[in-house]
Amino acid sequence: MPEPLLRTEALTRRFGALAALDEVSLEFEEGRVHAVIGPNGAGKSTFLNLLSGELRATQGRVRFRGLDVTRATPDELSRLGIGRSYQTANLFPELSCADCAWLAAQSRLPSSMRFLRPAERYAEVGDRAARALEVCGLSGRRPALAGQLSYGEQRQLEIAMMLATEPTLLLLDEPLAGLGHDEALRVVALLTEVARGRTVILVEHDMEAVFSISDTVTVLVDGRVLEKGSPDQVRNSAAVREAYLGEEIA
Amino acid sequence: MTRRILLLAGALALGAVAFSGDRFWLQFLGKAMIGCILAMSLDLLVGFTGLVSLAHSAFFGLAAYALAGVTNRLGLVNPLLTFPVCLLAAAAAALIIGWLSLRATGVYFIMVTLAFTQMLFYLFNDSPALGGSDGLYVSQRPVDSRAAAYVAIWAALVLAYLLLARILRAPYGRALEGIRGNEQRMRSLGYPTRRYKLVAFVIAGTLAGVAGYLDATLYGFVNPAQLGWRQSGLILVTVLLGGKGTLYGPALGALLLAFIEHYGERVTEHWNALIAALIIGVVLFLPRGLAGLVQGGRRA
Amino acid sequence: MSLSLFALQLINGVEYGLLLFLVASGLTLVFGVLGVLNFAHGSFYMLGAYLAWWLSERTGNLLLAILVGLPAMALIGLLVERLAISRLYLRDHLSQVLLTYGLVLLFNELQRALWGNEVHGVATPKSLSFTIPLGEAQTWPAWRAFTALCCIAVAVAMRQLILKTRFGMRVRAGASNAEMVEALGIDVRRVFSVVFSAGTALAGLAGMLAAPLTTVYPGMGESVLILSFVVVVIGGIGSIKGAFLGAMLVGIADTFGKVLLPGFASAIVYAVMAAVLLWRPRGLLGPAFEGR
Repeated sequence: MPEPLLRTEALTRRFGALAALDEVSLEFEEGRVHAVIGPNGAGKSTFLNLLSGELRATQGRVRFRGLDVTRATPDELSRLGIGRSYQTANLFPELSCADCAWLAAQSRLPSSMRFLRPAERYAEVGDRAARALEVCGLSGRRPALAGQLSYGEQRQLEIAMMLATEPTLLLLDEPLAGLGHDEALRVVALLTEVARGRTVILVEHDMEAVFSISDTVTVLVDGRVLEKGSPDQVRNSAAVREAYLGEEIA
Repeated sequence: MTRRILLLAGALALGAVAFSGDRFWLQFLGKAMIGCILAMSLDLLVGFTGLVSLAHSAFFGLAAYALAGVTNRLGLVNPLLTFPVCLLAAAAAALIIGWLSLRATGVYFIMVTLAFTQMLFYLFNDSPALGGSDGLYVSQRPVDSRAAAYVAIWAALVLAYLLLARILRAPYGRALEGIRGNEQRMRSLGYPTRRYKLVAFVIAGTLAGVAGYLDATLYGFVNPAQLGWRQSGLILVTVLLGGKGTLYGPALGALLLAFIEHYGERVTEHWNALIAALIIGVVLFLPRGLAGLVQGGRRA
Repeated sequence: MSLSLFALQLINGVEYGLLLFLVASGLTLVFGVLGVLNFAHGSFYMLGAYLAWWLSERTGNLLLAILVGLPAMALIGLLVERLAISRLYLRDHLSQVLLTYGLVLLFNELQRALWGNEVHGVATPKSLSFTIPLGEAQTWPAWRAFTALCCIAVAVAMRQLILKTRFGMRVRAGASNAEMVEALGIDVRRVFSVVFSAGTALAGLAGMLAAPLTTVYPGMGESVLILSFVVVVIGGIGSIKGAFLGAMLVGIADTFGKVLLPGFASAIVYAVMAAVLLWRPRGLLGPAFEGR
C-alpha cells in the first residue's frame, strides 16, 4: 500500500470547550479526488483550514508525503505543493485578472526578492499565469479588475490562481457555492480537467457534483468521521442518510 | 508619458537652482527636497505595502545624530566615511525596530512604531550627554558650501526616486502590492510575507537615514524634535496630500507642505490650525491626494 | 530601598496605573467598539485638565468643577464624534491616523488661543487637602487617595455596565459585529456616539483628577497618550481587563523606573512593551490569536 499523499493522525482543533474537529484520522491517496461532506457545522471548513495552515491544530498530526507538516505555515505548505482555493472569493480586488494570476505564478520563482529586473521580463512567470487563465477560460478577461468580475468568473479566477502555483495537492473549499446551474456545470467540467494527474480534497455541499467526480467520499459529522468510502457506499449508507435527514428535519 | 516629461522638467528645474547662489532658495528647496525623500520612502511602506509606520522620523533623526556623533566625538568629517556609517546606523535600527514591530499587525503595528519612535525621542531629549532638548551642533559638516549640500540632496532625491521606481517594477514590488491588497492570500500563495515587509521597512528606514544625514549636512544641527511622532505625522501628511501609492505624489505633497509651512508662518500665528484644517480637509474630501486630482495611475 | 519607601513607590505606581487605566480604557473601548484609532484621545485628557483649572478658578471648588466639567467633556466627545469621527468608520488606517492627528493640532491651537502658554497650578479642595500617614516616615496625600478611589469606582462601574446591562450587551455586540447588530434593528450609531462620549469623558476625568498633581500645561496630553497606547498594546485592543493589567504594569514599571534608573525611565516602559509583544503579538488579553 503506497504511502498516502496526505495523512492526518487524530487531528483535533478545539475552540475553548468546543471540539470543531475531534481526532480525525484520514488518508488521502495520491492522484484521486477525495470529497469531504457533512452537514453544517460538521467541521469541514475547520479541516481544510488546518490542512492549509491557516489554523493551528490543538492536537494530532498532518503528514504530507510522510513529512510532518502540522506546524507548517500557509506559505510553507504552498511551497511544498499544496494549493488552496477559497469559498468566498479571496482575490486582489484592485488588480486585474492578469495581475492576480501573475502574482500567483510569480510565487514559484525561487525567490521574489528580485529588485532590479522589471517583473515582465520573467517570461516563465507570464507563461505560467497565461496557461492557468486559459485552462480556466479567463483568457478573454485579462484586463478586467478582479473586483468587477461576475461571481462565477471570480470563482474561475480563484481556481486559476491556485493552478498558477502548480500544486500537487488541491484543497478546494466549496468551489460551487452560490453558482447557478450552468455555471456550476462549467466549474465541474473545469475541476474534472484540473484533477487529472493531481490529488484533490474537495469540500462541497453540491451532492450531484460530489458523487459525479469523486473517487472517495468522507462524511464528517460533529467534527468526527462518520463514514468513508466510495461514492456508492456512502450514498447507500443508512448512517449517512440519517445524519443528513436528521439535519433537514431540524 | 506627459507625467514623465513633467517630472523630468521638475527635476531639472530643481537642479538648476544649484547655480543660482541664492541663499534662501538653496536652503528652502534643499529642506523641501529632503522632505521629498522622506515622503517617497514612506510611500513605499504606506502606499505600496500597506504599512502605516509612525517610526519613519526615528531613522531620519538617528542618522542625523549619528553624523553629529561621529564628527564631534570621533573627528570624522570625510563623507566617504561618515555617510556609510550613518546609513548603517539607520539600517540597523530599521532592522531591529522593524523586526519587533512587524510581529504586530494592523493597528497594533501602528501603535508599536509610535512607541518606538517616542522611545528614541525621549532617549535623546532626556540625555544631556546626547544634547538634551537643545540638540547638538555638528562641529564640521561633511561638505562646506550650501551649494554643494544642495547638489548632494538633489542627487540623492533623483537616485532615490529611480531606485524606488526600479524596485517597484521588479518582482519584489509586485509582491509588495499583493501584500497590500490581500496579505493573507499572498501567504497562501507561498510568499513569506513578513520577510518582504521587513525588507521594505529596512529600505524605507535607510532612505530616511539618507534624508537625515543630508539634513544634518544642510543645517549643521540636530535636535530631538526631528525624532518624535509629530515629525512622523507630518511625513504621513505629505504622503496623503500627494497621493499614496504613486511615488511622485508624496514628493509633490512634501513640496507643497514645505511652501505652506513657510508662508503659513508669515500669515498667521495660528498656522498650526491651518495645517490641521488642511489635513482634515484632505482626509475628508481629497483622499487620493494631488495625484488623484491629476488622475495618475497607481504605478510609478 | 527601605520598606516604607518601596511601599510608597508601589502605591504611587498603582495610583499612576489607575489614572492610566482611566485614559486607556477610553482608548481601548473606542477602538474595540468603533474600530477607530483616536490620536486625539490625549487632547481630551488635556482639555479635561484645562476645564478643571478654569472652572475651579471660577467656582473656587475643584470638586464642583469636576462635576460640571464631566458632562461638558461628554458633550465635547459627542460633537467630535458626530462631526469628525463618524466619517472614519469605514476608512483605512492612514485616514484615521491623519484625521485624528489633525484634531490634535487643532485642539492644541484651541487651547493656546483660549488659555495661553503658561503653566497653571490647580488647588486641591480644602476638604481633601490633608495627608494620610503611612508607617513612620511617609505620607500619602488625600487627593491621591481620592483619585485612586475614583478610578477604582469607575472601573467597577464600567464592568457592571458592560457585563450586566442591556446597553452593555449592545456595546459588546457592536464590538464584535456592527453589521449584524444593525440588522437586528439596534441603532449602532447611537451606541457608537455614546461609547465615544464615554471615552472622551473618561480621558477628561483623568485629566481633571491629575490636574492638581501635575499642573496644567500645554502638551500635557502627549505623554499620557503615548503611554496609554503602550498600555493598550500590552493589554490587548478592546479588552478592558487588559487595559487594567497593562496600566498597572506600565504605572509600576514607570514609577520604579524613574526612581531606580532616572535616565532610562521612559525606555523601561517600551522595553516592557517589546517583551510582551515578543511573547504575545496581540497583547496579553487581546483577541484570540487563531492559527498564525
